[in-house]
Amino acid sequence: MRTKLGWVATVLGAALALSGIAVMVLLGPDSRFTTGPHSVETDGVAIVTRPGVVTWKGLQIDVLAEVPVNKPVFVGVGNSVDVQSYVRRTRRLEVTSFNTPWDVETREVKGVAALPAAPTALDWWRSGSAGLGGASISTTLPDETSSVAVLAVGATNLSGLKITFAYGMKGGFWIGVGALLLGLGLAWGGTQARRGGLLFATASEPEDDAEVEYLYVFVDEDGVEREITAEEAERLEAEGAVTVTEHDDAPDDTSDDDQEPEPDPEPEPRPAQPSPVTASVLTAADIVAQSEQPEPEPEPEPEPEPEPEPEPEPEPEPEPEPEPEPEPEPEPEPEPEPEPEPEPEPEPEAVYVYVDDDGVEHELTAEEAQRLAAEEGFELVDETDETAEDER
Amino acid sequence: MSRLRILVVAVLVLALTACTVPSRRGDSALGKSAVRPSEVTEVFDNYRDVWATASAVLDPKPLSTVETGAALAIDTGSFDVAQRSGSDDSRAPGPSDVVQVEAPYFTRYPLWFVAVSRNEKTQRVQVFERTSAVDPWLLVDTPEIAAGAQLPELRRREGDALAVKAANGAGMAASPQKAAAAYAAALVPGAKSGTVDVSDDTFRQQMSRTAEQNSALKGVGFSQRWSAEPVAHALRTSDGGALVFATLERLDAYEVQDGVTVTFAQDSPQQAFLQSGISTSGTLRYLHQVLLRVPPGDGPVRALGQYGGVVEAQGF
Repeated sequence: MRTKLGWVATVLGAALALSGIAVMVLLGPDSRFTTGPHSVETDGVAIVTRPGVVTWKGLQIDVLAEVPVNKPVFVGVGNSVDVQSYVRRTRRLEVTSFNTPWDVETREVKGVAALPAAPTALDWWRSGSAGLGGASISTTLPDETSSVAVLAVGATNLSGLKITFAYGMKGGFWIGVGALLLGLGLAWGGTQARRGGLLFATASEPEDDAEVEYLYVFVDEDGVEREITAEEAERLEAEGAVTVTEHDDAPDDTSDDDQEPEPDPEPEPRPAQPSPVTASVLTAADIVAQSEQPEPEPEPEPEPEPEPEPEPEPEPEPEPEPEPEPEPEPEPEPEPEPEPEPEPEPEPEAVYVYVDDDGVEHELTAEEAQRLAAEEGFELVDETDETAEDER
Repeated sequence: MSRLRILVVAVLVLALTACTVPSRRGDSALGKSAVRPSEVTEVFDNYRDVWATASAVLDPKPLSTVETGAALAIDTGSFDVAQRSGSDDSRAPGPSDVVQVEAPYFTRYPLWFVAVSRNEKTQRVQVFERTSAVDPWLLVDTPEIAAGAQLPELRRREGDALAVKAANGAGMAASPQKAAAAYAAALVPGAKSGTVDVSDDTFRQQMSRTAEQNSALKGVGFSQRWSAEPVAHALRTSDGGALVFATLERLDAYEVQDGVTVTFAQDSPQQAFLQSGISTSGTLRYLHQVLLRVPPGDGPVRALGQYGGVVEAQGF
């Protein structure tokens, strides 16, 4: 069920995202498509669209009418009942058909060569504007039969008229952006659901097709648990160092629905941290054991160096600390990790141990060891892992 | 919030966004509702302003910018009466509330709408009309009904009231025009009942009493005629009947014998028009705007209210 819903969500999300992209590409950042200016041949005082030519509602339109020599001109959109009554007796150019971007058919209608009243004096225009040499409107077409009119004002006519027309959707570009983001989110959610995420499932709804995953935990001699990979577990078991036992630690089913689900929906083994196998003193055996492991990561994090954060203040020089144990590795991060990454194994490196007069071992960095050897005349002695393991 | 809820919210938001997406209109029929509510407010504000100006100077001329037809004639007559009688009893409409607006759907001009305005004493059922796109809204009918009266429920289509053509008598005893004519005929003194049943309502009784009083004058021959002007405004009620705005013309004619003079009561409209009375003959012309209720089926036609007065007088 989860897989099916995941597929549905993925497909819907992809379709939605593609639709959003299409809207964004078609409309552009200004959310409209512009055409013109187009010359209109007429010496009359009125150009109007016949009722039924404007068939859209909710469409954002911009009309710019320009006439030469600063002649006064008016552009308006009104209900066709009003516009037809207004120009009923006026000789006019009537637009009988219009298709985007600019496919216009017109016809001449006979009548008197003047309008019955100034268009600016009328109160029924849905949107109207007048100006000298040009006028423009920007309006959304209402859900009623509307007509667009370009009218001469005063004793002038519309000769030399040029019209620029734009149409689009108010905020259309951003709606496209929203659709794209929503679609991507939906597709991602669907992908997660198909991979066994908890987008559609709750903790109380076990899924039939959920795969059984094992989590390997290594408990060292200090009782510290650490997750290891299946390969590590197999290798350790083969070496006879550990015994793999199975425990059923199912999650608590009584969790609340409103409770945030597990941050990591993937029940797969977490990648091993770039740390030694044990949480106690690093021994030569550990080093050797790590050197036998494959190295999928070309750039392992140096261990146990401090976090390489770009802090403005210079890091103080690490002093030899009496504490023999290195800093324990941080706890596994609670952040969900969508895909299991190959286990990053640290580069095996030599560990320098300084034994003081009391026989207490102190771990040193390579630089510190080199400095002590140079300054104090200490001798650097290489030891094998078995020896180190025996010494422990 | 669970992810499932987030998903549901996202889908709902998308659905709401889709509502604003442009689309082709399914209905390309020509037409519009007569008036928008914001226009009604502007019309009434202008109407009150003009009335206030006319009342201040006691001159009816400004009224021609907000009234026409019988309404203008009746109000102009009232101003003439006020001027001649020196009365300062202004008939200007005071502050009133528009409590109801009924705007039919039209496919062409003229457009008209009905507004019910109420003040402390009365209600006026007023009809404003716009004859063309370049004309202003003008008051054409303004019958008064009792302050507590309720208009019958109107039939609507997509929120707009339905207008009835003057000749359309479907489902009723008579068309609006015939109902108005029948009511006018019933007001003539001594008239016989016609094919259309007319209720003996308050207005009819009042007109009958007036006619009887004038007829009882000694040495005076009195006659009265009633006629209905063409009906232009009628609304369909939800029961299948109609509300008809009818304008009735009344002509009172006096033939006075020698040595007799007919005088009218002090401060009455008739006295304002005919201050010296009628010594030989005279005619007074009245206009009454009557709101008629035409019920469905064969019910009687009844007047719900009226507004009228003397508009013209001649006397010798």
